[in-house]
Amino acid sequence: MDSLRVLGSRLLGFFRRRHVDENLDAELRAHLELLADENIRRGMKPEEARFAARREFGGVEQIKEAHRDQRGLPILDTLLQDVKFTLRGLRLRVGFTTVAILTLALGVGATTAVFSVVDRILFRSLPYPEDQRLVSFGVMAPFDSREFMLGPDFVEWRPRQQPFESITALEPGSVDCDLTEQNPSRLSCGQVDAAFLPTLRVRLILGRNFTREEDLPNGPRAVLLSYGFWRSRFAGDPRIVGKNLSLDGKSTFIAGVLPAGFEMPTLARADLLVPLAMGESTDRGPDARQRIVRTFARLKPGLTATTAAAMLQPLFEESLNHVPVQFRKEVALRVRSLRDRQVGDARQASWILLGAVFAVLLVACTNVANLILARASARQRELAVRAALGATRARLVRQALTENLVLGVLGGSAGCLVAYLLLRWFVSIAPGSIPYLQQASLDHRVVLFTFGISLLSGMSFGLASAFRRAAAELLTGKESRATSRSLLRQSLVTAQIAASLILLAGAGLLLRSFWKLEAVPLGMNTGSILTAEIDLADYRYPQPAQQLEFFRELQSRLVRIPGVSALALSDTLPPSGGMQATFLSAIEVEGQPKFAEGTGGMIGYRYITPEYFSALGIPVAHGRVFLDQDLRATENPVILSEALARRLFGDSNPIGNAFRYGRQNLWRTIVGVVGDVKNDGLAAAGGPEFYLPWKAESEGYYRRATFILRTPMNPEGIAKWVRSEAASIDPTVPVTIEAMSQRIEKLADRPRFNAILLSLFAGMGVMLAAIGIYGVVGFLVAQQTREIGVRMALGASPQNILKMVLSTVTRWTIGGAILGILGAWFCTRLLESLLFEVKTHDPLLLGGAVVLLLAAAFLAAWIPARRAMRVDPMVALRYE
Amino acid sequence: MTPPRGEVLQGTLDLIVLKTLDTIGPLHGYGIAQRIQQVSEDLLKLNQGTLYPALLRLEQRGWISSKWGVSDNNRKAKYYSLTRSGRKQLTSEAESWERMAAMIARLLGAEGI
Repeated sequence: MDSLRVLGSRLLGFFRRRHVDENLDAELRAHLELLADENIRRGMKPEEARFAARREFGGVEQIKEAHRDQRGLPILDTLLQDVKFTLRGLRLRVGFTTVAILTLALGVGATTAVFSVVDRILFRSLPYPEDQRLVSFGVMAPFDSREFMLGPDFVEWRPRQQPFESITALEPGSVDCDLTEQNPSRLSCGQVDAAFLPTLRVRLILGRNFTREEDLPNGPRAVLLSYGFWRSRFAGDPRIVGKNLSLDGKSTFIAGVLPAGFEMPTLARADLLVPLAMGESTDRGPDARQRIVRTFARLKPGLTATTAAAMLQPLFEESLNHVPVQFRKEVALRVRSLRDRQVGDARQASWILLGAVFAVLLVACTNVANLILARASARQRELAVRAALGATRARLVRQALTENLVLGVLGGSAGCLVAYLLLRWFVSIAPGSIPYLQQASLDHRVVLFTFGISLLSGMSFGLASAFRRAAAELLTGKESRATSRSLLRQSLVTAQIAASLILLAGAGLLLRSFWKLEAVPLGMNTGSILTAEIDLADYRYPQPAQQLEFFRELQSRLVRIPGVSALALSDTLPPSGGMQATFLSAIEVEGQPKFAEGTGGMIGYRYITPEYFSALGIPVAHGRVFLDQDLRATENPVILSEALARRLFGDSNPIGNAFRYGRQNLWRTIVGVVGDVKNDGLAAAGGPEFYLPWKAESEGYYRRATFILRTPMNPEGIAKWVRSEAASIDPTVPVTIEAMSQRIEKLADRPRFNAILLSLFAGMGVMLAAIGIYGVVGFLVAQQTREIGVRMALGASPQNILKMVLSTVTRWTIGGAILGILGAWFCTRLLESLLFEVKTHDPLLLGGAVVLLLAAAFLAAWIPARRAMRVDPMVALRYE
Repeated sequence: MTPPRGEVLQGTLDLIVLKTLDTIGPLHGYGIAQRIQQVSEDLLKLNQGTLYPALLRLEQRGWISSKWGVSDNNRKAKYYSLTRSGRKQLTSEAESWERMAAMIARLLGAEGI
């Protein structure tokens, strides 16, 4: 209580300084006057009396000082004083201040921005309670890059599995569903089983989970609303729970509302959740509909994914009995953490970006340290003067601390701004495939972290110089101790150069890989091609015949658009994947034994119209393309890609052979062989494929298709035309129009993003290193002005001086370059999986990076070195 | 803060000031200094200025309060007076001082034997 009261009074004293000062003055004056009066009464002369009074009273200023210390907050007082002094100093040295703050801002900004991007990927916990116990499990097979399970296996495993508290299954991806009431709209529905919410421990904010009955096939229809959908559609009305809405034309009970931060473990979009309704069937017969599901589980406490996999092994081997013998080798069990599944291959790129940005931060911090060291040396005389005037060591240290603190705060604030801008830029250029990026935001932990680093970097070096005794002999100007710390500064520069070189080498590799990827031959001509993807709603077009009819009608209208030189239709488009596929072993050629060692890998196929090959410019190697009569029901032609033809027939001519695949008994005649195209992304080698004519087929899938329009006209005009034609048939059908070149660019988004970011960091690193060299050389020249003067007076030519200055730079730079080459040799290996057709150890690229860096270093040294050349000996000798 | 020169023990000055104000009533700084010198018969060499930080300290703790007034010979001066908590403090401090003094006296007496 007492100390609180004292603090209050001190605070008051601190803020009402002037008033209290005046009061004290008056009080002390009164005291002195009373004392003088008394002395006069004792018979002194007035002057003598005043003098005696002062003697008796003691030092008025000391008393005031003691009074002030007692009254206010002396620490705050000196702090304010220090801050004021620092700001004045920073204003006086505009160059130093700008460079230091810019350096800090770049370092802090870039680090914060990148950290914000990778935070969710690498560090942040997922939005489920005890998320580290959540795993994704299932089997791996050649036709899917992620683990999955077949419905019957899941049903059998569920009661018998040991390692999990509970397991849940959901439909892969989201399914389109249509809200069919007032203001109809197309939504994404996640299909999940009744154990989904309990397994993830997601609590509904309203209502209840699906019941067992609702989760059965043909059970009562029920739906859970996502928070966003609930707010936007029903304005967050809590009474909506328990009512019905019309989904895909059927009345559906609204069971509950999901919490605001909910996300699917697959990261798929889900406006609504509906029951998976898989049932308990374990029928594996030829007519059974075996569903493929994604499966997630919560581990029992204390278990890991590895132990869980070991415990599931017996169940897995049992399920393996249902897999055809020749495929068993290609199927494996997999259990991995949910985070690993979500992040996938973004993890490594994230670590690399984080490493790169830390290298930039290192260079930036080194720069600041270097600047501060240089300035501290230049200020030794000032410190000596202050020490001579009575400043204590503690006071000088405090001053140094304050200066670095102010610098750190200014740089950190500028850094936050840079981080904000950079992050917005990252998000705008980033590919959609990087998980969570759209949600990335600066968070206070990240900002604090980098603020701390920026403060620390300046502080440690600032303190080191402040703790050195400010020797009074410096006042004579006879001794220059500039050289004593130059070793430290040189090693800092060396470190900068090494770090920048590693960054440059990495960026060079990624850029080259990206360029190669851009230039990869696609096997087709993608210029001036417009694509229009159309997706028909199931409830409006339930029959394949209706779907075909819609596309035929639209095709006949689009053909009439002037300026379209070719028009084709296909269910999928290269080079993006997503095509239907079958095993090589499921393909049979009449008169040949079937491929029998395992699955043989996946063979894709598409349904196309006859103009497909001419529209995309895919060359015909043998035979012919489809003709219009092939679309008649009686004809069953097939066209192979060259790769598939080679696989099936070797060098002999396949034309005329009979071919069938899958469970179909239908024999098809091979009528042609066409060139290979990239059909599974840009980096993967083009897979073999075959083509079927776009007509009613029993296994055909016609709900979604893409029109291919070759046109030299303005694509926007054509796009409008396509949209209006589609709308005139059915205004509810969504049409997505994109230029082919855009589609392909999207495939290279990820490598482009990585290359751009790493190049940016390399650029920053080189620039900061150049600034560092400029600063250090400039400082050395300034310190050595007298020495240079003496040399010149003794006959050294300007060229000699230039050589002297540059030779020091060469030493550090070469040292840094050697370290950097070694570092790059090791670090670029980490990039291996991100590279496309580029070797990690590319001497040419590394050499180029070294040359670039050396050039930057010498350019930075050249400016101050020229200043050294022009030193006037007379001025230099009088200097200091 | 400059410590009071030697003669006045740290802490005792507070007690002395409180006692003075208790005995005489509201008084200005000069008056307090005069009184202390008078009572101690000039045995206590007080540097009068050191009184002020002590007065501030006592005021911050709420043991004394101050008010501007006019002195006997018509000069504006700040008058200090004891507060209620100051009086309490004086009692308890005086007691502890006496205990201490008695103990030291006993100690010295015992050594004398």
